[in-house]
Amino acid sequence: MSGGGRGRWAGLAARPLVVALLLGGLWLWLRGQELDSIERRTINADYLLRATREHLWLTVVATLAVAALALPLGVLLTRPALRRVAPGVLTVLGVGQAVPAYGVMVLLTLRFGVGFRVAAVALVAYSLLPVLRNVVTGIGQVDPALVEAGRGMGMSRAAVLWRIELPLAVPVVLTGLRTAMVIGAGVATLATFVGAGGLGDIIINGIKLGRTPVLVTGSVLCACVALALDWAGAVAERALSPRGVS
Amino acid sequence: MSFTEWLDRNRDQVRELAIQHADLCLTAVVVAGLLGVALGVLAHRSRLATAAAQAGTSVVFTVPSLALVGLLIPVTGLTRDTVLVMLVLYALVPIVRNTIAGLRSVDGAVLEAARGMGMGPVRLLLRVQLPLAWPVILAGLRVGTQLVLGLGAIAVYVTRIGLGVLIDAGLARFGMPNSVNQALAGTLGVAVLAVAFDLAWQVVGRLTTPRGIRA
Repeated sequence: MSGGGRGRWAGLAARPLVVALLLGGLWLWLRGQELDSIERRTINADYLLRATREHLWLTVVATLAVAALALPLGVLLTRPALRRVAPGVLTVLGVGQAVPAYGVMVLLTLRFGVGFRVAAVALVAYSLLPVLRNVVTGIGQVDPALVEAGRGMGMSRAAVLWRIELPLAVPVVLTGLRTAMVIGAGVATLATFVGAGGLGDIIINGIKLGRTPVLVTGSVLCACVALALDWAGAVAERALSPRGVS
Repeated sequence: MSFTEWLDRNRDQVRELAIQHADLCLTAVVVAGLLGVALGVLAHRSRLATAAAQAGTSVVFTVPSLALVGLLIPVTGLTRDTVLVMLVLYALVPIVRNTIAGLRSVDGAVLEAARGMGMGPVRLLLRVQLPLAWPVILAGLRVGTQLVLGLGAIAVYVTRIGLGVLIDAGLARFGMPNSVNQALAGTLGVAVLAVAFDLAWQVVGRLTTPRGIRA
């Protein structure tokens, strides 16, 4: 994801610009359209804001849940006792990733009913792996000499974990969380199929009703939310990485 | 009815949809492979083009598939082409990135030596750069294939093709007998295809990786 320094900055500056252009273009285009009553039922500030809020909420809740699950799990998998099984666990999860999100969402719904919780579980199932993988990689890449030095200074294992291993792993972990958030924003569009709302509602309404303005509005908003989240993630990565760790 | 029983009775339908799915995804991967390697070759020389390719692909990657489909439908309609364009765009992301990364990783001294032997730019590309970058490009093709197979499941919302049809049918028959079997068949079908394609790539990798750089 990260190229040279210049590429990274270009990416960081480009995203808000793309979002602004998309939203501006959408607004201008909609102003020139004669909307019929069906289209107005979807394309009004209340409805659009509600769908956007649902979408964001679902994505953020799932991302927080993923962080809460993946961090302790990743730490466990990098402890000396379990270090050997980590690659195996990651491979098994990687195979699971080949299962389509849409299918998982539908199967969960058929089993547990419709709603927010089922959609959130599907999102978590989908974005857990990149975070877990990055936690394991992030802690794994910490120079063993530093851990050794910490122990030699009389730090306990817990202190070494908190004060050396985790801080040094922060950039890689944050990259994983950002990826998870973007995947989550994508899978959240599928929440519409299981009655959990979000911007997918608008897109599917547009397809089913054959109303291009509805379809385009939903798609553009959805793209903008994902791009904005990704951008926020990139900014957070820069801001939260401990100084001296790049 | 148990899953195996159901599968046995509906074998023909499942097989037909699986073939559609595989065909759709294979087409997308081939198109994206040719296009992506060409784009990577063109972009890797210039820093600016590389930065633009990286920014462009990360924007595509960020946009949710359903949104991308929604933006394409007004242009290409509710057709297989719409799905194909969407799949190609996503598959391009890892392929372009890996092609650039692979070409850039080729040792400068090797290039120098090849030029010193009198190779022109085209021969240099075909005989030295691409073969050395091939394992990395191959990894991009593999990731792209997995991506496309999973995303192919939502093709059903554009036009009724692929294994997504089974998942959709299962959802539509929520609560009725065999709805779970249908959705499960569609979901597992995609996973089976994903494993099969990955094995195929491994074979291709064995056969096409130059002997000197085999792991």
